[in-house]
Amino acid sequence: MNATISRLALQSLFGQKRWWALLSLPLLLIGLALLVRLLTRGEAGGAFEVIVVGVGITAATLVALLATTGVLGPEIDDGSIIYLLAKPISRYSVVLSKLLVAVGVTVVLGAGSLLVSGLILEPSDLQQALAVTAGMAVAGAAYCSIFMVFSAVNRHAMVTGLIYVLVFEGLLASWLSGLRYLSVSAWGRRIAEGIDDSLNLAAGNLPLAYAWVASAVVVVAGCVLAGRRLSRFQLRGEE
Amino acid sequence: MALPTEGPGPGGVIHDIGYRPYTGPRLGTASAARSLFATGLLNAYGIGRSGRAKILPMVLLAFMLVPAAIMVAIMVTLGLTEGFINYGSYPVQLMLLIVIFVAAQAPVLFSRDLRSGAISLYLARPLGASAFALIRWSSLFVAVLVFVGVPIIVLYVGALSAEADFAEHTGEFAAAMVGVILLAAVLATLSALVAAHTRRRGLAVGVTIIALLISTGVVTAVQAITSEMGNEVGARIAGLLSPFSLVDGVQAELLGGVGSFQVSPGTTAWGLLYLAVALAVIAGGLWVLVRYYRKQAGR
Repeated sequence: MNATISRLALQSLFGQKRWWALLSLPLLLIGLALLVRLLTRGEAGGAFEVIVVGVGITAATLVALLATTGVLGPEIDDGSIIYLLAKPISRYSVVLSKLLVAVGVTVVLGAGSLLVSGLILEPSDLQQALAVTAGMAVAGAAYCSIFMVFSAVNRHAMVTGLIYVLVFEGLLASWLSGLRYLSVSAWGRRIAEGIDDSLNLAAGNLPLAYAWVASAVVVVAGCVLAGRRLSRFQLRGEE
Repeated sequence: MALPTEGPGPGGVIHDIGYRPYTGPRLGTASAARSLFATGLLNAYGIGRSGRAKILPMVLLAFMLVPAAIMVAIMVTLGLTEGFINYGSYPVQLMLLIVIFVAAQAPVLFSRDLRSGAISLYLARPLGASAFALIRWSSLFVAVLVFVGVPIIVLYVGALSAEADFAEHTGEFAAAMVGVILLAAVLATLSALVAAHTRRRGLAVGVTIIALLISTGVVTAVQAITSEMGNEVGARIAGLLSPFSLVDGVQAELLGGVGSFQVSPGTTAWGLLYLAVALAVIAGGLWVLVRYYRKQAGR
């Protein structure tokens, strides 16, 4: 862990034009929740699941993608990563410091917006909103770790990540229920269900312990893979 | 030939070292504009760029054509000439492919020269910043138009060769094509703005895809909720928020096509409002784009 690297990563994240994309997604989700509450005059039966789970999880995942590709990608892109890698700091600690920032931003903006929009839709049920937020925080950490590997491996982390989110998580995992064992979003939903039994987030009969262990394994494996990749980093010119 | 010209005293000497001046025809600004447009259009499909740059647009175009080819094949073999094809809903059903194409190819035309600084070389030529921005935009517009329009032309030609009713199919095809032109213009404007302002390819692609898909998702969600609550006006206002539902509304209401979203404008007045919003997005977007490039020229 290195506080300076984390601080610089946070600065670069909000110093670029990326910050408005990062902020607009949570604001959009909260705005949508407000709109739905206004339109349904507070009698939003089932709107919690549709908005928070249907739209909210995707929005929070995209926040994770934008945040993670923002902390590592641009430096690799313009080559300034070599100045960082030339410092006598373990590559694993570089990855961990940057990952921590991405996870922090994802938890605050992504999972936090789920909490706010959940409370807007169902103000009386704090536990439900907190459960979804906790599930998304765990899933967000796992997503950040995956996207960190993407940005360490190739230049097109944003595109690869989007295809992963839209095609694998969005299309395949929702059609083929057997893929719930591999879908980070399903683990997060299962963890939320584990915290609040009244929730039904269509996570199937996934074992709760499996969801926790799998998320932890993905986070650790992502750090290790990205760190290994950075320690074998080679500079390449423009294609 | 290459003898130094003897000067009268000390001073400069001009050596003719054999470079030849350009003596061919001077083609002028119009020709520069034409060739900039043509290179831009070809570059959007990866032609004239590296082999790897061709993969994505060509694969996407192939994916875009496959459903049309299959539909034509089914139509011809089973003789289904009536009510089988809906030209207007083809772009909406293949939205994901269109969104990826637009998002991935707009930075080719709008991010690279701004980021590398080559823009100052372009803008130093007689063409000027406004013309440059508009020509770049037209390249992208035509590229998207080809991408969305060709499969629909394939459908139409297939339907006619399967001896479908000419008048009926021509009407629906024409309505869909006007919709496609409008859609291509709106998408090209929005993605050009994002690509020029972000300048980073990855970020531009991400922001464009996210914005287009999320806005369409929001329209679908809000329309589902409002129409359940019987709030027609709310559902129609929601339809203004996504380029796809906007253009779909115009071609469904004003041109007699078939709408693909849950709620279409319904009345001519709403249809005109949809059209006005679409045109305002194009005009406003182009104004911002031209202003942005003029600012670049001033640097």
